[in-house]
Amino acid sequence: MARLKLRINGDDTEVEARETALLLDVLREGLEMTGTKRGCETSHCGACTVLLDGIAVHSCVVLAARCEGKEITTVEGLSRDGELNELQRLFLKHGALQCGYCTPGMLMASTALLRRNPRPTLEEIKVGLDGNLCRCTGYTGIFEAIQACAARAK
Amino acid sequence: MQNSKNKVKAPTFSSIGKSAPKIEGVQKVSGQARYTADYLLPGTIWGKVLRSPYPHARIVRMDTSRAKAQPGVMAVLTAADIPNVLTGRRLRDMPMLGGERVRFVGEKVAVVAAADKDVAEEAAQNIGIEYEELPAVFDPLVAITEGAPQLHERLQDYKGLPKLASAINNVYSHDAWRIGDVERGFRDSDHVFENTFNTQHVHQSYLEPHSSVLSIDKETGIIHVWMSNKVPYNTKRSLSDAIGVPAEKIVIHVAAIGGDFGGKGALMDLPLCYFLAQRTGRPVRMIMTYAEELMAANPRHAAVIVMKTGVKKDGTLVARQVKAFWNGGAYGAMKPIPSVNLPGAVKAAGAYRIPNVKIDSYAVYTNSVPCGHFRSPGMVQLIFAGESQIDMIAEALRIDPLEMRIRNAIQDGDLTPGESKRGMIDVKCREVLEEAHAVSNWKTFKKAPHVGRGVALSYRNVGIGDANARLSLDPQGIVSLLITYADTGTGAHTILCQMIAEVLEIPFERVQLQVGTTDSFRSEAGTGASRVTFVLGQAVLKAADKLKALIRQHGAEMLGVSPDDLILKAGRVTVQGGDGRSFAFEKIAAAAIAKGERVEVESYYEATETPPEGVFTACVAEVYVDIETGQIHLRQLNTVHDVATVLNPVGHQGQIDGGIMQGVGYALIEELAMEDGRVTTLNLGEYKIPNIRDIPLLQTTLVRGKFGAAPFQSKEIGESAISQVAPAIANAVYDAIGIRIMDLPITAEKVFRALQARRTEDQGTVRR
Repeated sequence: MARLKLRINGDDTEVEARETALLLDVLREGLEMTGTKRGCETSHCGACTVLLDGIAVHSCVVLAARCEGKEITTVEGLSRDGELNELQRLFLKHGALQCGYCTPGMLMASTALLRRNPRPTLEEIKVGLDGNLCRCTGYTGIFEAIQACAARAK
Repeated sequence: MQNSKNKVKAPTFSSIGKSAPKIEGVQKVSGQARYTADYLLPGTIWGKVLRSPYPHARIVRMDTSRAKAQPGVMAVLTAADIPNVLTGRRLRDMPMLGGERVRFVGEKVAVVAAADKDVAEEAAQNIGIEYEELPAVFDPLVAITEGAPQLHERLQDYKGLPKLASAINNVYSHDAWRIGDVERGFRDSDHVFENTFNTQHVHQSYLEPHSSVLSIDKETGIIHVWMSNKVPYNTKRSLSDAIGVPAEKIVIHVAAIGGDFGGKGALMDLPLCYFLAQRTGRPVRMIMTYAEELMAANPRHAAVIVMKTGVKKDGTLVARQVKAFWNGGAYGAMKPIPSVNLPGAVKAAGAYRIPNVKIDSYAVYTNSVPCGHFRSPGMVQLIFAGESQIDMIAEALRIDPLEMRIRNAIQDGDLTPGESKRGMIDVKCREVLEEAHAVSNWKTFKKAPHVGRGVALSYRNVGIGDANARLSLDPQGIVSLLITYADTGTGAHTILCQMIAEVLEIPFERVQLQVGTTDSFRSEAGTGASRVTFVLGQAVLKAADKLKALIRQHGAEMLGVSPDDLILKAGRVTVQGGDGRSFAFEKIAAAAIAKGERVEVESYYEATETPPEGVFTACVAEVYVDIETGQIHLRQLNTVHDVATVLNPVGHQGQIDGGIMQGVGYALIEELAMEDGRVTTLNLGEYKIPNIRDIPLLQTTLVRGKFGAAPFQSKEIGESAISQVAPAIANAVYDAIGIRIMDLPITAEKVFRALQARRTEDQGTVRR
């Protein structure tokens, strides 16, 4: 076991974990931050997507120990003082979610995309969300939400 | 990506017809929504299973000593340690753990509990089992032959065996419908076409794997369950039978469900959670890995469909005989309907008026994964077969395929197999086809090389069943709805709140919804069959009307007038035309509570007969086929949907888009590939579902009818968007390159091989 020092959503946290523990397990089991979802566990579905220094990663294949000294952002870090951010609101407005299980990962992947490219083209959205599956929406609402967010970018 | 052409006139409602945001949406976008795996009870331990590597084998001996001796292992159970009870949603034919015998690769044979998941997993692998392989059968057409291995010798003794079981080897359900006389119909036909179609196993691919959490209250003995399961009452009864504990001792908590599409109704690991909890005194959770999901959950049935159709020269359909052989897998336990068959079988003749119809639907045991329901079960497979064949017939008769469909379209008053005895009403079959013709520029479309278009048609109904609702008004003026139906993501809960806001004439924001446990009501059908908006909607509507009357009654007493003199508006009761005296809902609730009364009503609704309104859907697909590689590029899907009132446009469109994309996956890429009954696509990289790059241009058109069985004259949309996608694409591929693929999915490999075969044939012809 090791004591990991992690910085998550701007807060410094310490957590007891095995050296081989995956970031997903440390978040969900160790810290009881269950917003990040466990899906396929083989880095195909993207339900577990979080940001690591602003880059979208699948937390089911990232060693938690490798995240020390890095800035981790999870879905819980998107709202400020209980207020949804613009992307979250647009996801709701455009029907970008149904069952909601892919949503935390989809939001994190979209956040990473919009941070590095505030006005992505259709093709760039497709590349940006290539690693995130959604079985409910047919992706159309997700496209619309991201496009609406991009349209508001200054 | 989405162009919606909405021909519907703007509705005149206040809440209905608006795109109210999902009531659980804020929780879902902020990571606060709680799915089963998010319930972390103190002291919870993990359960992990060992599964059979053989499709059919006798278990000779088991050795659990190594696993039991492993540090951290808290319990190891095999069939010998638990009651010898068979389980299932209707047909009780599945052991909780395989004891003497296993019948598919992935069948559970032992379960281990440990505080640490990895320890449990490792210990399960350390259980030694000696198997003696038995002859196995994978093809339903082989399984029904006399010499084939018999999978269930004691079938006749099983609880829940349908009266429709047959004497044919390995057939546990034979459902049948007859209209007219098909033999005479074929004799009266100018041409008779007979073709066989094959469809593949596919997985629902909800991203949340099956999860179960179970805790036994030490003082009361009450068993608390959280599970990714959408039919809590059926689950309570099935669990009660499985573990031999009275149903009153079981409470099912309805958690958020991370996708269902028909797949989340079975017991799965729940009984094992109970036995582990009982042995260890700890709460237990079991979460299937995705590999377990793909190998051993309850995917859509693969099928062999023999379609025989008789027509007149002018294209008039005279007779259709359908034989469907469902590859049911090792157990029928996952199927929810009493016939233990597939509900879509009744639609095997398609959306056509055919005077002579004969449908035989056989559920067959094989040594493969037990199959269950997946969005429009049975229909998806049968519409692929039937609609492919309509194009084959149209081509042979040199009739335009869309024209052929219009000519035979169901009309008002038509009786269809097994459905409403009243005959159908407000039928929009022809209109839907004509609209498809118009919006796709069917006649004027200019065909480029290797580009083709195809059309397909289907219809279905809402499902029947029952539902409960409890509605109350509190002193804050909030109207609270209590139900026990799960919202699997469809937006059903939001729509219910819209209905209440509409009836009580209050803002949507003043309606709250709570999902109760199974202690709330006696029983009800639960989510499925596109019944929720219909039966639960009607129950909620009834409750809203009752609450309105009760508020009026309380208001009348307080104001000293007759209830008839009051109007309800904007959260107040007001004396009509009088002095304008009024009370806010808040005051009425407070006054009632002061008197020791609650402003609360309860209602129950049950539908026992399929309503006479159908839902018709047409789809036009456009593809380009690369003839060098066989790759199909799906360019556009134009779908036309028959609706009445649309309750929530964004939610409605989401059901259409989601259903269509599942149809695209089914048509082109998805397949649970198997070798000797062993699923070989064991992760979502091998088992491919559509990702964001796979969306074609989607164009939706709504055609409006007047009537729908659900509240405010609305119709189902959850399952009607999927079935026509695969045949429309198959027909488009044929139109593009003249290759007819009759077994799904239509992969590049199949198209490539067919093109190669044709080239070889052509060369042969030239040489001759």
